[in-house]
Amino acid sequence: MRTVVVTGAGLAVPGMVGIQDLVPPGPARSGGFDPDIALCGRRMRHKDRASRFALGAVEPSLRDAGLCDGAALAGAATVVSTNFGNLDSVCSFAATIRSGSVVDLSPVGLPHTSSNCTAGWVAIEFGLSGPSLTVCNGATGGLDALFWAGNLIGAGRAEVAVVVGVEPHTDAVAALHAIDGAESWLDGAVAVVLESAEHAQDRGRRARAELAGYWRAAEVSEVLRPARAALAEPIGRYLADQQTGLADADDLTARLGRCSGALGVLQCAAAVAWLDRGNTTPVLAVSGGTSGEQADGEAVAALLLTPGGQSAERAA
Amino acid sequence: MVCDITGVGAVAAIGASPAEIHRALCVGRSGRAPLRAFDASRYRARYAYEIDDRPSTGDQPGRATRWLCQVIDAALADAGLASSGADFPVLVGTTMREQRSVELWWTERQPLTLADLHFGSALAKRFGSRRTYTFANACAASLYALGLATDLIESGQEDTVVVAGTDSITESAFGMLDRVQNLVPDALRPLDKTRRGMLMGEGAVAVVLRRTGTDRQRLATVRGVSMNCDAWHATAPRAETIAGAVRQAHERARVRATDIDLVMLHGSGTDLNDSTEAAVLADVFDDARPGPWMTAIKSATGHTLGGSGLLSLVVAVFAMRTGIVPLTVGLTDPVDEAAGFRLVRGESVTADVSVAQIDAFGFGGVNAVAIVEGSR
Repeated sequence: MRTVVVTGAGLAVPGMVGIQDLVPPGPARSGGFDPDIALCGRRMRHKDRASRFALGAVEPSLRDAGLCDGAALAGAATVVSTNFGNLDSVCSFAATIRSGSVVDLSPVGLPHTSSNCTAGWVAIEFGLSGPSLTVCNGATGGLDALFWAGNLIGAGRAEVAVVVGVEPHTDAVAALHAIDGAESWLDGAVAVVLESAEHAQDRGRRARAELAGYWRAAEVSEVLRPARAALAEPIGRYLADQQTGLADADDLTARLGRCSGALGVLQCAAAVAWLDRGNTTPVLAVSGGTSGEQADGEAVAALLLTPGGQSAERAA
Repeated sequence: MVCDITGVGAVAAIGASPAEIHRALCVGRSGRAPLRAFDASRYRARYAYEIDDRPSTGDQPGRATRWLCQVIDAALADAGLASSGADFPVLVGTTMREQRSVELWWTERQPLTLADLHFGSALAKRFGSRRTYTFANACAASLYALGLATDLIESGQEDTVVVAGTDSITESAFGMLDRVQNLVPDALRPLDKTRRGMLMGEGAVAVVLRRTGTDRQRLATVRGVSMNCDAWHATAPRAETIAGAVRQAHERARVRATDIDLVMLHGSGTDLNDSTEAAVLADVFDDARPGPWMTAIKSATGHTLGGSGLLSLVVAVFAMRTGIVPLTVGLTDPVDEAAGFRLVRGESVTADVSVAQIDAFGFGGVNAVAIVEGSR
């Protein structure tokens, strides 16, 4: 299988500037992304909140990866993970029709009836004409999206894949979270750029992390076992919530609230940020398990990331 | 390398199994009916192709999920794998996922849990499946899922993958399409000059995909699936990238245009899709004489959204196995771009079809084209 690496990452999360703000203790200074300002403007017009956040995250991720011209992005894949993304539009349109008729709808809402609207807007804005995939897969969606983006590259369907995790805050979304009593949730987006290792090397681009394995099973222990056995060296950092029982794991949801479909991509970005600091041990991201978003025992997913360039060293 | 289809299941407005659906298509039966659950007075369009399974009390949540489990059950049984207990990956393509359930919760306070939003929870409960994926990829979703499944098998990661599609009608999407379509369709009429737009259908479909050679019995072989994205307009199609998807499918399947015996059109009945698709096919098959048979199922099933590509593929498989290619219901005056096409209209044709092409295009500019070969 082809080696898949991460070459860029970007955030559109209120109060955060870049992926380093995902590493504890969090943002060092005040300020950071302000949705009231950043989600406005001409290119944001007629797009739903999730899509605007996504554009706000993809742009810095591509800059970070040094992929700024159209030719480099033609044929690139778009993979978006979201669960709540377009549900505010769905609720709003249904309510409008019921209180009047279809004539009361604004036609500009048409794209937002489909959950893949965000992927569509991202592809249009940045000219990504490769495969476009939207993953709406519950709490594991973010890690699942990274797995599938890696598979698209592995299968030769794209050399570059932009992976987005996004969840918006709107009235309907707040009501959905309230179904199981969640008290806080993400209103923002994250994007990471995946590439085949050869493509990154040809561009002279440093691989910040490498995708070293992905597992999905009913319980945490069933993913931890193979993940720990995958490499000779022990995992040096875990990104997971308290339910996984991993004592020193960094729990992004403790700082950001429920992250849903965006969690896995945030975990990947946080792993890259940690590796960027010169850390060299493998990182394991785990999500899913018991949560209001899944049936009990439905699934846990895990993604193993190693410092970039390791497989080349191992091969040598 | 190629992958074999060893089991199929499907349900739509015109039938509760693939054989029943194929038979209904061959005699030109349509599932079109007046709107069953929506307050018709609030819409311009008054027809859809719904599955008639709602209780008299009104609409209910979870129908797309229920049909999904039903067709996967049928496909596994058809493949002889029902009692195997194995945890196969399940890849589901959908446009709406359970947006209808969300609407019923928001407007009627019908019950909803967050786990209902994706299909994995139901699949875990019903089949014990853990490696499940809900791809909300508009109307190319199920062929995208098929392509991803072939990649999983060809990379050696899996020997068996279940691929499925499902969708139930939603007020928001039906209503928004109704709002934007200039004319009000009373039927979906692919490729016809009098077409006035698309109308929604309901349905689910599933196939069991196996590494070639795993089973003695195979229904058909998937030679290749292409996937790309227009990156151009949120809802309107782009000829250039659609043509690219068709050619990419031929390359992946190692076939030439002259090898294609049958094209299952996306044929959504909209002004833009049908003229664009026909123009692309006219170009791609320009040198192929007499050219492939061409037909479309959406005038009988409605536009079944995410599952529509895979449903057309299953119909193609049955056309190849039975030697009967179903007619396109309601096609009387084909568009000029289709001049020279061997359209199946008026009545079904008996034909020896070995290789079929299936088109699927969706909002967000997603395109996927599959090439399937029959088995005797």
